[in-house]
Amino acid sequence: MNLLLILVGKFILFFSKTFNLGSGSTWPGHIALEINPNFIRQVLKKNPDLKIVLVAGTNGKTTTATLLRHILEKSKINVFQNEEGANLLNGIGSSIIKNSNVFGKLNFDTALFEVDENSLPLILDEFEPNILVLLNLFRDQLDRYGEVNTVADKWSKSLQKLKKTKLIVNGDHPELAWMAKESNLKSYYFSIPQNLMKSKFPEDDADFLYCPNCKTKLNFNKISFSSLGLFECPKCEFSNPESKVLNLSNPLTGDYNYYNVEAASVVASEIFGTPLVNIENAFKTFKPAFGRQEVFEKVGKKIMVILSKNPASLNRSFEAVLSVKKDNDSLLMVLNDRIPDGRDISWIWDTDFENFIPNFKNITVSGDRCYDLGLRIKYGMENQSAGRRTKIKIFENLKEAIGKAANETSTNETLFILPTYSAMLEVRKILSGRKIL
Amino acid sequence: MKKNNKYSITIGWLYPDLMNTYGDRGNIIVLSKRAEWRGIKVKVLPINIESSQWSIVNCQLLFMGGAQDTQQEIVNRDLLGAKGRTLVSMIEKGIPGLFICGAYQFLGKYYITAGGKKLNGLGVFPLFTENPGEGAKRLIGNVLAEAVGSNTNPQPPNPNRLLVGFENHGGRTYLSDKNQAFAKVIKGHGNNGEDQTEGIHYKNAIGSYLHGPILPKNPELTDLLLALAFEEKYGKKFHLEPLDDSMEQKAREAIIEKIK
Repeated sequence: MNLLLILVGKFILFFSKTFNLGSGSTWPGHIALEINPNFIRQVLKKNPDLKIVLVAGTNGKTTTATLLRHILEKSKINVFQNEEGANLLNGIGSSIIKNSNVFGKLNFDTALFEVDENSLPLILDEFEPNILVLLNLFRDQLDRYGEVNTVADKWSKSLQKLKKTKLIVNGDHPELAWMAKESNLKSYYFSIPQNLMKSKFPEDDADFLYCPNCKTKLNFNKISFSSLGLFECPKCEFSNPESKVLNLSNPLTGDYNYYNVEAASVVASEIFGTPLVNIENAFKTFKPAFGRQEVFEKVGKKIMVILSKNPASLNRSFEAVLSVKKDNDSLLMVLNDRIPDGRDISWIWDTDFENFIPNFKNITVSGDRCYDLGLRIKYGMENQSAGRRTKIKIFENLKEAIGKAANETSTNETLFILPTYSAMLEVRKILSGRKIL
Repeated sequence: MKKNNKYSITIGWLYPDLMNTYGDRGNIIVLSKRAEWRGIKVKVLPINIESSQWSIVNCQLLFMGGAQDTQQEIVNRDLLGAKGRTLVSMIEKGIPGLFICGAYQFLGKYYITAGGKKLNGLGVFPLFTENPGEGAKRLIGNVLAEAVGSNTNPQPPNPNRLLVGFENHGGRTYLSDKNQAFAKVIKGHGNNGEDQTEGIHYKNAIGSYLHGPILPKNPELTDLLLALAFEEKYGKKFHLEPLDDSMEQKAREAIIEKIK
């Protein structure tokens, strides 16, 4: 039965690739699971030597998985990975179909799956991974995922059911550190160098400021961002676990990426025994993933696309832009409200535009909810005097917005584009086309 | 713009670090900016677990947003003490306020959780809320509503009566008197998905399920709250200079078009 499903799936994959239907990353898995709900479990059982690594979290999944895959491949470890965004059960199913032979054999050492935060419990019900990376949890798409505490509760309950999984956990996230401790699973904690924790105050989107054990307000000594940092509960004394800091270089822009670098590197060094020098070397040839600081070159102009999908993510994109921005670089922000973006765009008000906006003379805005984004920017201007006021240019049409913003960017300058998820896909499509500019 | 530096108001923001989900902080940003743009000084006073009940007394406008369950429990415990009694007496006295989602529910008489547990509220708003259980659908989506006059407040927020926002709640709220509703639902669910009421307008306080947040795209409501706050402080009617709200109107029209 499963062999037939794999065959049919491969046929669909071939078909959708040949005719460029674009749905190959989820459909084969979807159909296989409809017909046999145990498909994934059974195929994986037939491949007992395959090492399975799951990467879960709100932000940084694709980047961390891509980093890890790159390190492992440089160490001659044979890895396959689910496609970016195909991170529900059907995406994992499709990835298995794509990478197995017609006998259901996965000829790889390691399977690397990034998993959606809501789907993690369902996926853990299907199979027990060898390694589970818990990157972070932030508020995200409340209309779709519900409250972040609810997601945390579900994760915590799922961890209780695991027996042999090794956890790689962000030791600076109070809730994740607590659930790992409670799970009694073998856990490795990662953190970033303390000199990168530059704040004393949590950001406005922070949801984990109270002790996960006794609900007392936590004391934070240092904060890197959101509610990640060095914490201690004044009542029950719960504090950061002992975390590893490998102190490697960051092949990406923005200090927050050190978390992704540390997570991927801890898996590589602790679990796969990759020497640190090899990890450093691998970083030298690393290329950012799809839409995550991905760079396009168009007629002498550099365009960097940074996916920005929730408050923590947009705040970090701001940080990344400011860390490399030159005087005359320009900016385009795109806000959509489709299913993959979340229908509720309230979150832009949880994000810190106030310190970011004055760095630009003009900001171009587009997307389904361009006027809402325009409003957020308007109200985010901190007492700028009339002459210095940032100009907001709104274009409902994305192609036009990209064209105008790119025209304003001089040669050798950078246009930063910060889009939500579905907007990022559109932006990439436009940028890879030949028509504009 | 003329500077009226002699005027100032204090906005009390209840539990900014606990009741702050769904972008409700945007309401504070918009209230502050629209006062500042008219040259009126604004002080935003955060009222936290550690704050004393007396901090509330110095405010001319109160705001409290929605929260997640864990956070709400912490706040409920705190408000059942002296701070809650002060808050109730302020609302009864006619201090203007905006209470969104979880805050709105908690000012009612009681809340029956999905598990059937009855939690007492502060009882200042004549309403109760019930969560029909884990299996029931949350009421989620864009809302279009029309502000209506209530028996305590015959004047709805004029001149533009249309309100837009985004709701996301499991609890269903029932008003003791439907004439006290803040708005009539045109599209969306509102208080309970049954009787077309949205929120409550009680004295000068407004309770509502509308996130979005509510104020940026409904500038008339923002200005109404500000005008009430100035009246509260200076004891006379205030004329607020009009602002350029073309982008606000565009944003509202765009979402109305989408909802319709």
